[in-house]
Amino acid sequence: MAQYIYSSSPHVKSPNTTRRIMIDVCIALLPACIAGCVLMGLVNAKLGWLSFMQIVLSAVSAVLAEFVYALCLKKSFKTILNEFDFTSLVTGLLIGMNLYPTSAWYVGILASIFAIVVVKMLFGGTGKNIVNPAIAGRIFAFIAFGAAFGGAMGYVDPDTASLETIKYVSTVSGGSVSTGATPLQTLFNANYTSTLSGWDLFLGTGVAGCIGEACKLALIAGGIYLVVRGVLNFRWPLVYVAVTGVTAVLIDLATGTNFKDAIARFVPYILSGGLILGAIFMATDYVTTPNTKLGNYIYFACLGVLTAVLRHAVKGEAVSFAILLMNLLVPLFDRYIRRRPFGYVKPERKPRQKKTVTEQPVADEKVVAKEGK
Amino acid sequence: MRTFKGGFHVPDGKSLTAEASVEYMPLVTDYFVSLSQHIGKPARPVVNAGDQVVEGQLIAEASSPVSANIHSPVCGEVVEIVKRKNAQGALVDCVHLRSDGKQDKFTYPPLVDPTPEQIVARIAEAGIVGMGGAGFPTAVKLQPRDPVDTLIINAAECEPYLNCDNRVMIERTEAFIAGVRLIAKALSVTNVYIGIEANKMQAYNALLAQEGVIADTKEALQNRKDGDIVVVLLKTKYPQGAEKTLIKACVNREVPVGGLPSAVGCIVDNVCTAYAVWDAVVNGNPLHKRFMTVSGRGIAVPKNLEVAVGTPLSAIVELCGGVNDDTVKLISGGPMMGFSLLDLDVCTTKTDSGLLCLTDKEASTVLPTPCINCGRCAQVCPMRLMPMYIDFYTTVGDTENAVRYGALNCFECGTCAYVCPAKRPIVQSVRLTKIRSKEKK
Repeated sequence: MAQYIYSSSPHVKSPNTTRRIMIDVCIALLPACIAGCVLMGLVNAKLGWLSFMQIVLSAVSAVLAEFVYALCLKKSFKTILNEFDFTSLVTGLLIGMNLYPTSAWYVGILASIFAIVVVKMLFGGTGKNIVNPAIAGRIFAFIAFGAAFGGAMGYVDPDTASLETIKYVSTVSGGSVSTGATPLQTLFNANYTSTLSGWDLFLGTGVAGCIGEACKLALIAGGIYLVVRGVLNFRWPLVYVAVTGVTAVLIDLATGTNFKDAIARFVPYILSGGLILGAIFMATDYVTTPNTKLGNYIYFACLGVLTAVLRHAVKGEAVSFAILLMNLLVPLFDRYIRRRPFGYVKPERKPRQKKTVTEQPVADEKVVAKEGK
Repeated sequence: MRTFKGGFHVPDGKSLTAEASVEYMPLVTDYFVSLSQHIGKPARPVVNAGDQVVEGQLIAEASSPVSANIHSPVCGEVVEIVKRKNAQGALVDCVHLRSDGKQDKFTYPPLVDPTPEQIVARIAEAGIVGMGGAGFPTAVKLQPRDPVDTLIINAAECEPYLNCDNRVMIERTEAFIAGVRLIAKALSVTNVYIGIEANKMQAYNALLAQEGVIADTKEALQNRKDGDIVVVLLKTKYPQGAEKTLIKACVNREVPVGGLPSAVGCIVDNVCTAYAVWDAVVNGNPLHKRFMTVSGRGIAVPKNLEVAVGTPLSAIVELCGGVNDDTVKLISGGPMMGFSLLDLDVCTTKTDSGLLCLTDKEASTVLPTPCINCGRCAQVCPMRLMPMYIDFYTTVGDTENAVRYGALNCFECGTCAYVCPAKRPIVQSVRLTKIRSKEKK
């Protein structure tokens, strides 16, 4: 007689799986990856290839790191393949996108290994990490390698950099070789004049910065794909970006900028740097966001305020640090913000009874408590 | 269209049997009638081995206030009282009956224009229990402690694949409506709703064609006469047919945690129960058969059947052309809340609304992976719980915290486990916590 599967209900389940979600995220990241490489390639063909290699190296090393880690745990190759859920590929892609074409070749590899092994696997693997591995990987690269990461956020030392790099940086920074500042940093210059239009920022043409954060159009297209596929809730990136922008305008007003200029900076401000990439793909990581709707609204609003404040404080990019800090607070959000269950009636507060000192032995109190039940 | 917050549209698979008229299940030789087909104490047998019984004869009587009478489904001989496995896998006492092919039948005297007390007494006599699945004795339900002003008939049938309620409403519309009126009379309420999901338009239109039945539109409600039954069209969404969500959708009242529907002045009864009430009061037939959907892609000919209580599932499957080779799962009841069966060596009860044979394309066979905290389970939970924490704390053995996150308020609809991309066995965790917390007490 045939053997039938015997299990607890429900017996039908949605076709959606973790793997499918992660593959969707990978697909959503592709346009931005391609756009980043192409845009760099337009400046200089070699830079385009470098960008491509950065992404591939990071992605491959992230996946390999997970495999090697699992092999060290003496898992069979078949189990590893069955358990592989593409989360490490997402992490690897994101780290690659957060690098500069001019970063040293080993930066992405080490950042990916750090992200996967230290941040994710040592904490228990998929779903158990406390902070987003890709964010941690980016910050690890930034702190550990400094100049090799990309010369402190795009700054390139003209004495040591290759000719192509100098040429590239000079192209996008308007001639000044020694200050290869990203558009965001130029925003904080006192005598800010718009060298790049909002459209340039949106399309990523002529923007210096990380490979993946250049083309906002491609990032948003990926985000829309995720929303359509039901992977991403469109509210959270919107809340994050909007609050960041509004806070920045408020800070400007508070520091004496006139109203018109402050408003004019809104669009370039939110389109500069890694905000869009962070808002769509990194801050919204399921594992490191609260579980309730209210919690998420507060979380992303706080994240927005923190990002704008940090950006103002360091006069540069701070999205990744803001996300990292807020990631650490997620357990608090989940602990204190809960939903009212269906049909839950708030118990009426009992009037406080004055504590009377009794000489009764402890055993008697237990009996009384039981009878009370 | 009215509904509740949360839930998820589960592909319903109802088209397999939506058009199939109810067929009578022919007589088989052996019947095993369980003595615990209801919530409460098992019934006490009143027959002995060797006794001759006729169809409809009392073979076991209610043994306590919460229990129900059980009647013989066939004419024949009592062979023995044996312990047999039920659909949940527990061993229960069953009366083994061997039919002799005769058609003798016992019926109670039909009641003409009965009083509420007479109706309740007849329902108790006829052994009617809630036929939606829980099997709570209906007579007990119709004598609530709290004042009740509303009767809601659960015609949502939100479980995928099942069509028995749907077919009853289409084929026995008049009897069903008469049954609803009898229950309303027993409760002495005039505010009567029938909640039906929008995927059963044929039944919906059939109901509206009846006299004294009106739609849930502003216009119709303004001209509502005393005693009119309101048919409420509900959004097709699982678990629309759960008692609490149905009440929320129909009359916008929230049953308090741990409370019964009567706490908010409502009584909810199933379609098949209403039909059984009509049958018992008007025809005097005790409850010993029911409507059942046999479906799934693993069965040769999906059917809606009228089956005698105690019929072996193997005989039902045989009538429907047998189980296909690609069947991986047998289910008693619906796919969301039903019980999976080890084999077909089980007999039907008053609460079995379906028998499903699912192929590997329908039944989920994916193994669980780690939770990724996506929050989908919390989004769909009709009780607004946070299932991910219940699952987590159960897995690590922390019953106290699992209970704190509402494991005991969960009615195990399974929506969370359905949408979970990690395929976490959340409902199983809830059940485990319920058992553990009972043990603790």
